[in-house]
Amino acid sequence: MNQFTFESKQKTVLFGFMGLGLVCLLLAYFTDEQPHHVRFWTNFLQNTVFFTGIAFITLFFSAASITAWAGWYTKFKRVMEAMSLFLIPGLALLAVIVAGLWLGWHDLYHWADAEEVAKDPILAGKAGFLNKGWYTLGTFIIVGVWIYFAMRLRSLSLAEDQNGGADFAHHRKMRIVSAAFLPIAGFSSAAIIWQWIMSLDAHWYSTLFAWYTGASWFVSAMAVLILMLIYLKSKGYFQGVYEDHLHDLAKFMFAISIFWTYLWFSQYMLIWYANIGEETVYFKTRMEKYPVLFYGNLVLNFLLPFFILMRNDTKRKYGSLVFVSIFVLLGHWLDMFQMVKPGALETALHAAGAHGDAHGHGSSFAAGFSIPGLIELGTMLGFAAFFVYMVFNSLGKAALEPANDPYLAESAHHHV
Amino acid sequence: MSMDNAQKEVLFGLYDDEEQLLDAVKRAKGDHLEIMDVYTPFPVHGLDPALGLEESRIHIAGFIYGALGTLTAFGFMTWVFTRDWPIIFGGKPYWSVPSFIPITFELTVLFSAIGMTVTFFTVCGLWPGVNNPVLDDRITDDKFCIAFQTNGQSNSEIDRLKSFFMETGASEVNTKVI
Repeated sequence: MNQFTFESKQKTVLFGFMGLGLVCLLLAYFTDEQPHHVRFWTNFLQNTVFFTGIAFITLFFSAASITAWAGWYTKFKRVMEAMSLFLIPGLALLAVIVAGLWLGWHDLYHWADAEEVAKDPILAGKAGFLNKGWYTLGTFIIVGVWIYFAMRLRSLSLAEDQNGGADFAHHRKMRIVSAAFLPIAGFSSAAIIWQWIMSLDAHWYSTLFAWYTGASWFVSAMAVLILMLIYLKSKGYFQGVYEDHLHDLAKFMFAISIFWTYLWFSQYMLIWYANIGEETVYFKTRMEKYPVLFYGNLVLNFLLPFFILMRNDTKRKYGSLVFVSIFVLLGHWLDMFQMVKPGALETALHAAGAHGDAHGHGSSFAAGFSIPGLIELGTMLGFAAFFVYMVFNSLGKAALEPANDPYLAESAHHHV
Repeated sequence: MSMDNAQKEVLFGLYDDEEQLLDAVKRAKGDHLEIMDVYTPFPVHGLDPALGLEESRIHIAGFIYGALGTLTAFGFMTWVFTRDWPIIFGGKPYWSVPSFIPITFELTVLFSAIGMTVTFFTVCGLWPGVNNPVLDDRITDDKFCIAFQTNGQSNSEIDRLKSFFMETGASEVNTKVI
């Protein structure tokens, strides 16, 4: 089976989940007691950035693998291509947030409020970068460039299927395109992560925040890739992809989980040690008001993958792989949740003229703010279904196994 | 390998290619020939299962050493900074877990690395001054070697081994006493 058929049953299920996600988004919009529909907008932003980030990192992973002359992944590179093409719908979702920024639909970003900026020297000092123009340009230009590279790699890969020759001209071209993309990806992702996520806490900054978020996306992308491959294998596709390929993907998931923890700790310890109020406020808020997420984050994203994936055989068995992938994916989604919610909520309360804990979000848990409620889980499932739908859609448009790729034989005999 | 002082008579064949070597090893297993050892200049994929070697258990030892390192570092720092010699650094509590993490990490790595190295050398019987003869210098360069021990074997048995080497494509067959 070298051609993926997107069955109508799969579409029905995915549409069902997308419907659920839409209902949850609408519920969040209309039932929220908070000002400016902050629950809706934070959910929207969190999921949009999470899944767009997964698409971006998959593209980055493809480019890095091509540049490193790696061949082991060639058998399933069409799945990676299809995942990276989610950048296009991702940009459409981001466009909604950009539109909301100009039209005043939301109060996600403190720096977007001109009156606030005028009387706040810190925000005024950052206004050269944190302003609506840069946010808009950054989103469209940066994601646009990513999309260009994703489509370029995809079209070269498809052209190679048709008329790739013994001179491997297509692959050589892909190598140039990939090498050009890597530095662009490195700098541009950092800049746009600052705008999308870090600027929600507009007064606060951390120089390794972008790496931290990038590592989070990377682990999530590996988890998604593993889950997709296992699902597609169970449907009879990708019989040429076996434990050794999954083993290497799981090694990436394991290694980047540790890298993520390293970054988490580096960010935390330096701020804890220096003990400067303007820096510690980020962690103080999260440790006091979001303790379950704050400590659960380390359990789900470090202890769980570290101890389970440490062994050789757990990286090769479907059961343990599916288990870890699902939990790690959920863990990084929760991490994104606690990156987005506190800053945005504070901005919204501030904009509404409320101060402190007037709305009762001090010590008690509030679904949708200090912990995800059912609406948040439903929204996540909706976005996930949308992601899978778009990926399957792209997957069905080309042969599952590339032809004429110089590394195809190496991938077919991959041995760890 | 050289723990016993008795000299070994060794008959060994050299192959030019790892594919030939792998096929020969499989054939020897099929013919119930008892291979003394196989030498290759680099790791050959699939050789361990073909020889019937079990997976190494050194990583289990490594985990235990690492866990010991974690406990040593964390326990020691906890004792020093809460019981033995409490000092306030920068207004932090005595038991400041974040500042213990880097040293805990370092000792975990150090214990597991040194522990595994010592364990590996001990299991292999390697220590300074050990006699470890090499059958042929080229097995560290471009030759792949299968060795049989021939002490007390009859001429017909030795001939059988030699014909095995001929049939499996060895480029040279030599003997050596080590």
